[in-house]
Amino acid sequence: MRDKSKPGPSETDSSVNYLDPKAQSRRDFLEGTGAAVVATAAASSLGVGVASAQESSRSARSAISLTVNGVDHSLEVDDRWTLVEVLRDQLDLTGTKIGCNRSECGACTVLMNGQPVYSCSQLAVWADGADVRTVEGLALNGQLSPLQQAFVDNNGPQCGFCTPGQLMTATALLQDNPSPTAAEVQSALVGNLCRCSNYNAIVEAVVAAGDQGGAA
Amino acid sequence: MSQANRRGLDPLSVIGNDTPRVDAIERVTGQAKFTRDWKLPGMLFARVLRSPHPHARIVSVDTSAAAALPGVVSIITHEDAQVVWGAGSINGGRQYNDPTKDATLHRRYIFNNPVRFVGDSVAAVAATDRHIAEQALALIEVEYEQLPFVLEPEEALADGAPQIWPEGNLAPDFRGNLEPMVSDQGDVEAGFDEADQIFETRYETGFIHNAQMEPRCSLASWEGDKLTLYTPSQGISNCRHDTARDLGLMDHQVRIVAQYMGGGFGNKNQNQDADLIAATLSRRAGAPVMLEYSRREDWLGVHGRWPTVQYYKVGVRDDGEITAIQMRAYSGMGPYRKNSGGISGMDYYRCPNRLREIHPVYTNRTTSGNFRAPSEPHGVYGVENMMDDIAYRMGIDPVEFTLQNVRRPTDDRPYTNYSLDEVIEEGAQQFNWSARRRSTPGSDEGPIKRGAGFSFMMFRAGLGTSSAIVRVDANEQYTLYVGVTDIGPGAKTTMGMIAAEALGVPLSQVDVVWGDTDRCPYSVGESGSRTTIMTGYAVVQAAEDLKEQIASRGMPSGAGVLIGSATPVPSTDGKVRQCFGAHFVEVEVDTRIGTTRILKYTTVHESGRIINPTTARDQIRGAVIQGIGQALHENLLYDPRSGQPLTPGYYRARHLTHMDIPEIEVTFIEVDDGYGPFGAKTAGESGIILAPAAVANAIANATGRRMTSLPITRDKILGAMA
Ligand code: FES
Ligand code: FES
Repeated sequence: MRDKSKPGPSETDSSVNYLDPKAQSRRDFLEGTGAAVVATAAASSLGVGVASAQESSRSARSAISLTVNGVDHSLEVDDRWTLVEVLRDQLDLTGTKIGCNRSECGACTVLMNGQPVYSCSQLAVWADGADVRTVEGLALNGQLSPLQQAFVDNNGPQCGFCTPGQLMTATALLQDNPSPTAAEVQSALVGNLCRCSNYNAIVEAVVAAGDQGGAA
Repeated sequence: MSQANRRGLDPLSVIGNDTPRVDAIERVTGQAKFTRDWKLPGMLFARVLRSPHPHARIVSVDTSAAAALPGVVSIITHEDAQVVWGAGSINGGRQYNDPTKDATLHRRYIFNNPVRFVGDSVAAVAATDRHIAEQALALIEVEYEQLPFVLEPEEALADGAPQIWPEGNLAPDFRGNLEPMVSDQGDVEAGFDEADQIFETRYETGFIHNAQMEPRCSLASWEGDKLTLYTPSQGISNCRHDTARDLGLMDHQVRIVAQYMGGGFGNKNQNQDADLIAATLSRRAGAPVMLEYSRREDWLGVHGRWPTVQYYKVGVRDDGEITAIQMRAYSGMGPYRKNSGGISGMDYYRCPNRLREIHPVYTNRTTSGNFRAPSEPHGVYGVENMMDDIAYRMGIDPVEFTLQNVRRPTDDRPYTNYSLDEVIEEGAQQFNWSARRRSTPGSDEGPIKRGAGFSFMMFRAGLGTSSAIVRVDANEQYTLYVGVTDIGPGAKTTMGMIAAEALGVPLSQVDVVWGDTDRCPYSVGESGSRTTIMTGYAVVQAAEDLKEQIASRGMPSGAGVLIGSATPVPSTDGKVRQCFGAHFVEVEVDTRIGTTRILKYTTVHESGRIINPTTARDQIRGAVIQGIGQALHENLLYDPRSGQPLTPGYYRARHLTHMDIPEIEVTFIEVDDGYGPFGAKTAGESGIILAPAAVANAIANATGRRMTSLPITRDKILGAMA
């Protein structure tokens, strides 16, 4: 089973098995995610139980380079920053959303070296050297991707908060499987929750995009 | 595009056509700006410290170590920030009413002492970076004296229970009287005397967090005495008024900006404590402050549907006529009365003898509040399972039993139109009800059992006041100003479509300005399914005003503009105006492992004329899926010994995923009753009202066991089958 916690630049050989629901389940995502990250988030989320707070507010920093939507960036980051923080706060790519910050919802999904990952659960330093694609990188020269167009035509977004994540996972699916069935789409998108519960429309949109020849 | 089935009315020129959202491109490209996407120069980040105890007195708070942390700019606690959050606790749980808020007995402050639930706010920190703010929280030393706590509403009313407020644990009504909410019609005892059989059952429902995908946040910024709040609000006008009152400002000194927001489902009406905390911190720090809640804080610190316990007693004659319905119920409000605690459903029946007594009770759980159709789904689950059970016990088809007993228009209670029989009959036929239901519940051989359930609803579609402004320039370009936010249903598009229709122009000629109190007139807010019918009606009237001006003065030229506006006070001429719906669902229960699968889900709704069929369809589908989650999975459980919440968050609440979702079939029967904008009625809440009831009835039909407690999790099914 794929371990999504440590996709590095070298991880280009594994491909996601979208037909096997277990390969994409949220539970696996959670179990595979760096336990330290999850535990820290849980302990500090109510501001209690953090025994080891330090007097200094400074964090160690590292230099990393990232390619995001085809643009190369060299950055100095706090070691504690997550990838989604760097995307949103440092690179101003706020299309990627944070719904839970703990691998439960999929709102923060981006493609890292072509694979969907939860960017809230990736430290930015782990992404050193990676090729990242976000929702801002789907449209080319002002032209929506067929998947984006299908979301427009099929009412893919309600509130739209989960939409960037749904789009990124579905983009990866369509790259592997250009004409997925509804069941294949459901299986691939199982890690992307939608509280507006627009699930039927999202699946219809992805299936329609597939019929039109894929997302790429 | 998959389309909703519709029949009854033809589309008009704009209205009634499947229309992509006017802002769809922003939503699929990442350009739509949600609150957390704003950045202001010099902006600080804030976090809130919350109580780890269900009930405790704060003996002392020491913020010195936190304040000394480099990067920390401001810290506030209950000692130095005594701001009343008016909307956070109101006598009677009513909204939009200043006198009631003034008279409120049990005030909620932005920080409270004692703290009354796990997650109650204790302090807040603003710092130059969110990690520093979080680090500072851990350096705040709070000494608590723990107090006894109570979690269950019935226990909270028992003698000797820990008292959460000095007056006790029954939450006061809007006059401040410590009395339950009672509605008494006819003579219920006489009704029971008349009955041949009497049925009594206790039903119970859980706490369902709204769980909108965007966690609560608020960005506050002051320029002199003017406060701007970027905040995910479902009602910018109410939010402005509440914030001004709570902070001692005039309405015009507060500007609320809320355009895109990641859902709400009822927890974002009015202002929120996050708005007041961010505003207070920002004023102290002299810089803009972005306050962010974590998902866990949002789950525990905001609110969800109140858990209930409902005792029913129903009298029925042998001919199937209901002679009396009585309900005594308890709603767990948490320690603050944010909303009503209502439990609806009984009034769907004609039976003249009805007694309803609801006790809204304080507990040391997280606060309860409005969630999509606040009083309905849990109440309809109770009533409709009661009635379904009675029907099967008496050997009557539940659909027949409903049609025999349902409330219809009478001479002294006329409706603008009535479609309940039609939606039920249409749904039964589409679903093939008589073939799918088991006339003997649980009669399938073997461990995997199928069955079908049904439920119905009526829901208010009354009219009310809202405002709209529409402007035309010399290029015949129209601009509509409406104080709506686009929380998900597509209000911006719907308002534009109504304006285009009323003006007789294509939608492309109408720009919509929305979501900003400095630019838009009053709007009722995206709650109570009111935007389409109330603000939509104001849009029609504003367009009429503008057309009259154009007729008398001609189109403007050069730099000139004409402006139409309206704040209508519409009425339904004393008639009841409701929308109607019926749901039919088939389930398959694996009684060996307790799982429930939805095989078929058929909905038929009459919501008047449908403005945008695509978005209306997805209001129904989304609401049904939320209702299935309420029926099968969601509940915030507490450990009775420690008072700690056990299941906050999407994962532990077991929210439905793509893999759990059946196809929801939607049919609209369209009617124009002559009221509202082009005959439109309410749609946003209607789909959730009856979904839990229908699913639970289907499980009873499949298994032969009546499940009297929501959610119907696997352990409950296994227990019932054992
Ligand atoms: S925000 Fe990353 S999974 Fe929810
Ligand atoms: S569209 Fe609102 S959460 Fe998916």
